Amino acid sequence: MRQSNGYIILFTAIMTVIVGGLLSLASQGLAPAQKRSIELDTKSSILSSVMDRKELKKMKPKEVLEMYDKRISSLVVDINGDIVEKNEKGEPIVAEEVSILKNYKKNPEERLYPVFKYMSAENPDKVESYILPLYGAGLWDKIWGYVALNKELTTIVGVAYDHKQETPGLGARIGTPEIQGRYVGKEIYDEQGNLVSVTMVKGEGNTGLDSHHVDGMSGATLTGKGVNVMLKNYLNYYQSYFKKVKSGSVAAL
Amino acid sequence: MELVSLGIKSIFIENMIFAYFLGMCSFLAVSKKVSTAVGLGAAVIFVLTITVPVNWLLQEYVLKEGALTWLGAGFGEVNLEFLQFIMFIAIIAAMVQLVEMIIEKFSPSLYGSLGIFLPLIAVNCAILGSSLFMIQRDYKLSEATVFGFGSGIGWMLAIVALAAIREKLKYSNVPAGLKGLGITMLITGLMGIAFKSFIGIAL
Amino acid sequence: MSTETLEQKNEEVVQKPAEGLLSKRRKRLISDPLNEDNPITVQVLGICSALAVTVKMEPTLIMSIAVVFVIVFSNLIISLLRNLIPNRVRIIVQLAVIATLVTLVSEVLKAYNYEMYKILGAFVGLIITNCIVMGRLEAFAMGNKPYDSVLDGLGSGFGYAWIILTVAFFRELFGSGSIFDFKIFEAVGISNFPTNGLMVDSIGAFMVLGILIWVQRSKTGYVEH
Repeated sequence: MRQSNGYIILFTAIMTVIVGGLLSLASQGLAPAQKRSIELDTKSSILSSVMDRKELKKMKPKEVLEMYDKRISSLVVDINGDIVEKNEKGEPIVAEEVSILKNYKKNPEERLYPVFKYMSAENPDKVESYILPLYGAGLWDKIWGYVALNKELTTIVGVAYDHKQETPGLGARIGTPEIQGRYVGKEIYDEQGNLVSVTMVKGEGNTGLDSHHVDGMSGATLTGKGVNVMLKNYLNYYQSYFKKVKSGSVAAL
Repeated sequence: MELVSLGIKSIFIENMIFAYFLGMCSFLAVSKKVSTAVGLGAAVIFVLTITVPVNWLLQEYVLKEGALTWLGAGFGEVNLEFLQFIMFIAIIAAMVQLVEMIIEKFSPSLYGSLGIFLPLIAVNCAILGSSLFMIQRDYKLSEATVFGFGSGIGWMLAIVALAAIREKLKYSNVPAGLKGLGITMLITGLMGIAFKSFIGIAL
Repeated sequence: MSTETLEQKNEEVVQKPAEGLLSKRRKRLISDPLNEDNPITVQVLGICSALAVTVKMEPTLIMSIAVVFVIVFSNLIISLLRNLIPNRVRIIVQLAVIATLVTLVSEVLKAYNYEMYKILGAFVGLIITNCIVMGRLEAFAMGNKPYDSVLDGLGSGFGYAWIILTVAFFRELFGSGSIFDFKIFEAVGISNFPTNGLMVDSIGAFMVLGILIWVQRSKTGYVEH
């Protein structure tokens, strides 16, 4: 009886219903908590480019979200620096929900580019710094992060890099405050006003670096190259937007 | 060109065994003889080359959020990703069953020597691992196929090489406690160092 | 043992006075896999998904907890169903049970510890193909009573856990100079401890495990032929 086809089909059918039901129940039940976790993760990594990482870690999730709502105002632009508010279907676009990865797969001309404006604590209408997302390829797998520029859009005030699986102890150091601190105060334009970005040099312990270069990581030249390409690419994509901000045509936003 | 580079990468640099330890159980258990290792390796390549693209299609057209829109606009919101693990493993188990039947029919001798290891392919981490990595890394269908095939080749390469070493190892004097698994682990580590030399090769 | 099992003991004694809750046989179910019949070092199972996460202690601990949970509950469920499962589809039924439990673990992790969910990534899913789980279901739970199966699951789970935690301990200590992200060498005043890159690499895991197996087998006297 236990080996008959009918029994097997019945057994598997019941099993499928139970398992499927159980899993969909669990997934439904946990969905709000998962959404919160992801939201918190995105928002704290955006904030980490302008805030002290340790302080951020000490804050409770609720405080982080409150802080984010208070200080960050976000928008989405296209490659021409024009603001995009709705997608093809006419639904509003939320900057925090734009997947940088999915856009990375498209041509640069077709991508959406979120901008997160860090507003001044005293005057919520004044921008303190502009935070831009970054995405690229490291040595092994993807690397991503955020770069924060000052309100004149010329100097880096902070970066927050993250990585999927760069070599621990070598390339993975891009995730540490030690490396990221090196970018603070570096300038992205040369004297003629051309975008030169900030380049990580080869080798570690270099002295006398100018304002467009940061010290490298020993044993992780390739990861460093990936970071350089990523930073330069994304700063480049936002150039039209920067020009509009500087000329004042979108300053009101 | 990108596909060639991805293929090379998945064979040598991101070798399933040496970089991710995937498929270790059968790797250690079936690596005593070169001939069986070749057979199992071939079976793994076959299963991987089929399951990775099939799972890709499954993910793209059934599981992903909004994947069911082809059924009608009302399904745009459906997200079945929580069924991912169970669907993937079901596809893999079915494919393994298929391979088993094919091998039994066409090569009874290979079937005899692979014996109980064939069902083990279903629980070979390299197979499920490739499918999960493929999702994580957002490959396209063509990339996924190359990745599956490349991972299979890499796995086979590793197991055949280890089997060859272990055949020679029979004649060496290994400390009692290290015999078998212990020395195999150390050898795998050393082979891993050799494979590290491929790091940084850009194609 | 915890109070929970003590309570169970009373019930069990009432129902079946024939065998004590922690009879010698049952104690062996738990203790054997810890050492003499360890799933990793002796039975050579479940090495894959484990080693990839042993670079640091914290993810390893989470991974261990997840694996123990999955082994114990899948053992229990399969053992309860063992007289109902048709033989021809038993492998797929076992896989379905394991995959369900693993999905639950992964969903919970995603909801309440997103940090770890990101670090462990695909490796949580790979618990499904952890041969220890399948192996215990096939070899034990299919033919034994639920309570024994739970004990067997606990034994195998902990046998697995302590090995990968040990490997992680050495890898994090020498590879990153820390334990649970606590910079141990800096704390005792050695600020320039040279960390070993090999240890954070997969190669380090093979080496540490190989040596661990050597030490353990020299002690138990187990020799493979």
